[in-house]
Amino acid sequence: MIEIDHVSQIFQTSARQDHLALSDISLTIEDGAFVSILGPSGCGKSTLLYIVGGFVRPTRGSVRMKGNAITGPGPDRGPVFQEFALFPWKTVLGNVMYGPRQQGVKSAEAEAQGRVLIEMVGLKGFEDFYPKELSGGMKQRVALARTLAYHPEVLLMDEPFGALDAHTRTRLQNDLLNIWERDRKTVLFVTHSVEEAVFLSDKVVMMTRSPGRIREIVDIDLPRPRHRAELLLDPRYQKYVVDIERMFDDGGGQGAAL
Amino acid sequence: MTSAQIFGARAAPWLACLGLLVIWQIAALLLKNDSFPTALAAIRAIPLILGDKEALINILASQRRMTIGFAVAIVVSIPLGLMMGRSRAVASFFNPLLMVIYPVPKAALMPIIMLWLGVGDLSKTLVIFLGVSLPVIYHSFEGARSVEEKMLWSGAAMGLSAAERMVRIVLPAALPEILTGCRTGLVLALITMVTSEMIARQSGAGNILFNALDMGEYDLVFAMIIIIGAMGICLDAMFEALRRRLVKWSEPQFDMPLSFS
Repeated sequence: MIEIDHVSQIFQTSARQDHLALSDISLTIEDGAFVSILGPSGCGKSTLLYIVGGFVRPTRGSVRMKGNAITGPGPDRGPVFQEFALFPWKTVLGNVMYGPRQQGVKSAEAEAQGRVLIEMVGLKGFEDFYPKELSGGMKQRVALARTLAYHPEVLLMDEPFGALDAHTRTRLQNDLLNIWERDRKTVLFVTHSVEEAVFLSDKVVMMTRSPGRIREIVDIDLPRPRHRAELLLDPRYQKYVVDIERMFDDGGGQGAAL
Repeated sequence: MTSAQIFGARAAPWLACLGLLVIWQIAALLLKNDSFPTALAAIRAIPLILGDKEALINILASQRRMTIGFAVAIVVSIPLGLMMGRSRAVASFFNPLLMVIYPVPKAALMPIIMLWLGVGDLSKTLVIFLGVSLPVIYHSFEGARSVEEKMLWSGAAMGLSAAERMVRIVLPAALPEILTGCRTGLVLALITMVTSEMIARQSGAGNILFNALDMGEYDLVFAMIIIIGAMGICLDAMFEALRRRLVKWSEPQFDMPLSFS
């Protein structure tokens, strides 16, 4: 369980003015839940994710995981970034083996597990490719495998499919759900796409912009495992999407520009 | 590329050299000046230098100083540049210092260094060290500075400490840029090597060159220039081959020959 407790974040702008990016965020994320943070760009949703990751320290408030305060990054929380952030000097297999090797897993064992993961994300045959030789979608598959390789309890996904074309994006969403169904890790997923949030999540946390506040938390009560084709035709799915979009439109300018 | 294109690309630098020698030969024949020997005369004088034991010892001494100066510079400059690139405090401490040293031709420091350390190996090696350091520090700094923050975060999440991230993420990620600096440094090492020997005339390749000039042996002067030039080309080609091997993951291949490798 992750408890975000009255977290606020203040940045100094280049003009040396204080900018309140996040204002008094409190949120509890249950184990095994798929939670999306949905909001317009600039609402601080990525910052919130970085705070949970321990990459950014909150100005005020605290985050606890299993009751322990988060003071820095750790292998219990695995990030997947929009920018992929692969190690370009390592091959696909080298990237996926990096975390386990760091944690002292023997080379042969890390390699065997790495190959299984690479196959799971659909990249069998690309083990010896370097990141520069891969497309954006393939890079993000490698990044997901690299993070899953060291068995984090929580996946922190920062608009992971934001840089991909629509087709690749839907395929990766499907594959992510399939992988998630197997072990149901806790996932914190940042996105600005309403459809993506509803399709993937158990819970959608809607945020407003300037300062970033939680506007509404919507429980998505749709059956799992979810299949895209069925879901798109499901009136309940459609209603969630329309309702959430309407709530943003009613946001009185603040959240309107989604 | 077709095989004819590959052959063309490989032959191009050699053809350029040959062309230069032909122009030199023709110009020398036309000018008929004592201080400008023909290309053939200069080439014929090369065995005179390379066959002379004392000259060989001098050239080897030059190369030893250059190797030591270059190696020490790299060992010191890469960590310094990387730390400057990742720590604002380190950068703001060293930056003003380097900005003062940067535009000063390192050979201009030679008289002072000679005054303090004598005309021996130490002074010359120190000047080479200074000449190599700055480009290597600068490129290491730029390389470290442009390492993606998210890449370091990914490493931190895997449990890498700050020191481990420096060695295992910043260093390899910045390696293409670092090696660009080293390549510039290598050429500068050769330049400062020759210049230092011209100022502190005691031994070395630069000394042979200036002795020949004093004696009016112009074919030897030009032969020595060819030898020094060939040393530079060989070192650069060797380094470039090594560089390509080390960072083959980073750049798409150039189609234009940028070196003799």
